Amino acid sequence: MRRLITTLVTVSLAGCASQQKPASSETPATPPQATQPTAPADAESFRATKPEPGKPPELVLPSFQKATLDNGLTVLVSTRRELPLVFAGLTFAAGSAQDPAGKQGLADLTYRMLLEGAGSRDTVALDNAFGDLGVSPFQDVAADGAQVGVRVLTRNVDAALGLLSDVTLRPTFAPKAFERRKKQQLADLVRRLGQPTALGQIVFLSAAFGSAHPYGHSAAGMPDTVQALSLEDVQGFYKKHVGPAAAALVMTGDVTLDEAVAFAKKHFGTWKSQATLPAAPPTPKLTNREQVNVVPKPGLDQTVVIMGRPAIAAGNPDEFSLELATTVFGGFFGSRLNMNLREDKGYSYGAGASLDPRLGVGPLTSYASVRSDVTGPAVKEAMGEVSGLKSRPITEKELEAAREGLIRAFPGAFESVEGLGSSASQLFRKRRPMDEFNRTVEGLRTATAADVQRAAEKYLDPATLQIVLVGDPLLIQEQVSPLNLGKLVPVEPDTQPGVTRAGP
Amino acid sequence: MKALVAAALVLFGLPALAQSPQEAKPLEPGREALAIPYEKYTLPNGLEVILSVDRKLPVVSVNVWYHVGAYHEQPGRTGFAHLFEHMMFQGSRNVADDVHISMLEQLGATDLNGTTSFDRTNYFETVPTHHLETALWLESDRMGFLLDAMTPEKLATQKEVVKNERRQGTEAAPYGLAREAAWHALFPLPHPYHGDVIGSMKDLDAATLDDVKDFFRKWYAPSNATLAVVGDFDVAKTKALIEKYFGSLPSHPKPTRPTVAPVKLTKPVVIRHEERIAQLPLLSMQWLTPAYFEQGDATADVLATALGTGKASRLYRRLVLDKQLAQSVDVTQQSQGAQSVFTLNVVARPGVSTDTIQKEVDAVLDDVRKNGITAEEIQRARTRFDTRTLAGLQSIGGFGGKADVLQSYNHFVGEPSYVAQDLTRYETVTPEAVKQFAKETLSPDSRVILHAVPPARKQAPVEPKERR
Repeated sequence: MRRLITTLVTVSLAGCASQQKPASSETPATPPQATQPTAPADAESFRATKPEPGKPPELVLPSFQKATLDNGLTVLVSTRRELPLVFAGLTFAAGSAQDPAGKQGLADLTYRMLLEGAGSRDTVALDNAFGDLGVSPFQDVAADGAQVGVRVLTRNVDAALGLLSDVTLRPTFAPKAFERRKKQQLADLVRRLGQPTALGQIVFLSAAFGSAHPYGHSAAGMPDTVQALSLEDVQGFYKKHVGPAAAALVMTGDVTLDEAVAFAKKHFGTWKSQATLPAAPPTPKLTNREQVNVVPKPGLDQTVVIMGRPAIAAGNPDEFSLELATTVFGGFFGSRLNMNLREDKGYSYGAGASLDPRLGVGPLTSYASVRSDVTGPAVKEAMGEVSGLKSRPITEKELEAAREGLIRAFPGAFESVEGLGSSASQLFRKRRPMDEFNRTVEGLRTATAADVQRAAEKYLDPATLQIVLVGDPLLIQEQVSPLNLGKLVPVEPDTQPGVTRAGP
Repeated sequence: MKALVAAALVLFGLPALAQSPQEAKPLEPGREALAIPYEKYTLPNGLEVILSVDRKLPVVSVNVWYHVGAYHEQPGRTGFAHLFEHMMFQGSRNVADDVHISMLEQLGATDLNGTTSFDRTNYFETVPTHHLETALWLESDRMGFLLDAMTPEKLATQKEVVKNERRQGTEAAPYGLAREAAWHALFPLPHPYHGDVIGSMKDLDAATLDDVKDFFRKWYAPSNATLAVVGDFDVAKTKALIEKYFGSLPSHPKPTRPTVAPVKLTKPVVIRHEERIAQLPLLSMQWLTPAYFEQGDATADVLATALGTGKASRLYRRLVLDKQLAQSVDVTQQSQGAQSVFTLNVVARPGVSTDTIQKEVDAVLDDVRKNGITAEEIQRARTRFDTRTLAGLQSIGGFGGKADVLQSYNHFVGEPSYVAQDLTRYETVTPEAVKQFAKETLSPDSRVILHAVPPARKQAPVEPKERR
């Protein structure tokens, strides 16, 4: 659920589930020293019971409205009038899944170029023009699409849309700016490849999907693929993928559908392009785990542990059953995985799992950073929780907690216009209906215990989970080999050319 | 507001929704949307209560600030205020062990966490309206009866959790240990900021159950706490509930805040750190600056923005766009209760020396010391602050939401609805004031300079070779 709310595909530390309590031997009662007399115990006895909830309020879900211009541009609106704020953004249907083979990172570089000069302005002038409105544009580029947007005061919407129109329809693509931006992208890759968690993610995507699959790489690409990109590639991607038939103007907050359509006509009405909606990525081949991928980081104090697999696409009938199962397994703080690894064992600051249904089949990922000297025990416990879904089936109590928790969290998750904007953007990218959130709540409500248990056993089958470990190779060798999870294979996504290097 | 954005914080460890900082245009005339209606009163036991109704959605935020943070720790116990924060989630007299978060999650709570800074520790949850009483019950039980359920086992486990949190943010994080070394240099012992909020492994290990008890008894009294309820609730009913759950909690007079002489750096400290995690060199410069709301704090905010926010900012323009020596720049005034810190970070391109970066940064700073910045840059910074502030009021709870905003102003200036006055501070910032600040406070002779450089073999080549 949260996945629709946030644009970043991150593995969160939340969890939800079983009540495994750390063993506690005694509870010494040591009342605080009081300067005023404590009320007699009987007057305080009401504290012993958890209060009864009041009458539940009606569930308020975000509502989205849609219109289409003559040129094919989609307009998506969610009205929220309390504050004079509007989020306005252009969402594009093409993302890193549309990167051509050998040119991973092209979508990212193309969209970043939009802000490196547009209309009559170069990089600095464009930034200052946004700055005069008090705005820094926000960009996100992901597998299923991208967005560039701003959050402005209502009265600045028109001016901001004028700039966004330049950025979208009239990017300069100046050669000098391209060369500079490309170097920045390359340096940023060097930076990413120095981060254990980012490294783990990169290796996980290629292990789960295969490096040739549209979802098998991160949006940033790799050093050698980005190095190979030319300005022509960028212009080609833009021409092929960026156009009204493959884009949406998203406006949320202090704006109505009629106002948004008028803005869209004014700023984007003459936009023409051959770009069409890209096809959904093919279903990846699911293979059982044959090896454990180890990214060597000698001496690292923590080991990053990522486990997961390609799971389901948005709209799959299993989606909500699996969302509930994932929540019990690792979605909430109180989940089986987090209560075990963090609260019972103290191995980690947090362990969690999340489901990312995409336009195509997206990943189910579980994640933890664990103290390096307990890597073996932590991996064993995590795998134990996976197989435990079958041997210790999800209880009614666990299921109802996840169900109520997910459904009732909806209103609180849509407080900001930018949050609404990013949700609208996700709906467009995944080509979901406008009443998706009503469908989601309905799906969560009606999933039966049998559905949820079946989804847990089907998608969280231990044999199908790919494993990536980033950490000290000797420690990992010593502690993980005895677990018989597969041959340990060193994998180094290097800063040197050559995407991944599998060692002997 | 901004202090919430920049403060050194350590969280209990739940995910936050991704927030991308974005800003917008000034609110004058009127700034009507910034006026937050509220009611504030104090219970006989000293607990302050702030109520603010907001009926946008059927949710209500409960947010408790304890006016104690890492600043109040004892020598040899760095990291303790935050470790204690973890203990507050482990159960109390009437709340079973380790169910606090699960219980709230199961009823649909969002924005649920606790955070510790130098100045305060806070605990918050946003719940559907019909569960307000449950949230009050949970908060009152740990405020009144935490120690009834405290065990050595719980402390031992949370020490491990917090040490993992430290590894994740320090030992195993890019530039983590380097930044810590610079922080130590800024605040030499015995200054209470020395240990940073997370503390050292040694001090975390040393913490005892008696420390937990003493800390609770001294700092966690109702007289040292403020409860805020913000959102969709019935005022009269809620007051009655607050009386029921908090009114009879025992208390003692509010503890006094220790005073510490401000640190003064009289000569530059240069740290050269061999970076083991990150692959790009980092140059960081830090200065000690006036505390939150003191004269100069607002000026520092404006200058930080002009130097480092956006592609047209001074440092980005010169280092990233024109000279192409750097990858990113990041400049902040971290406003804090005792003393603030002005930090300027530049991540270099592969193979670029941090000494080269330093020369360039110094040239930019020298220019500001000589000529100040333009009125236009100041105006842009103001418009950013205005909108960021308004946008921060969209969420009733959570990190930096409306409840935190009321609490923060109440904590620092004693007036919860201080948003407009806060923004007024920026109207008095002039090019001349910025020039003076850069000259006097950001002097080249009173800074900590950190060079965090990966060993040569780890640095990527400047130009990756073409693949054959």
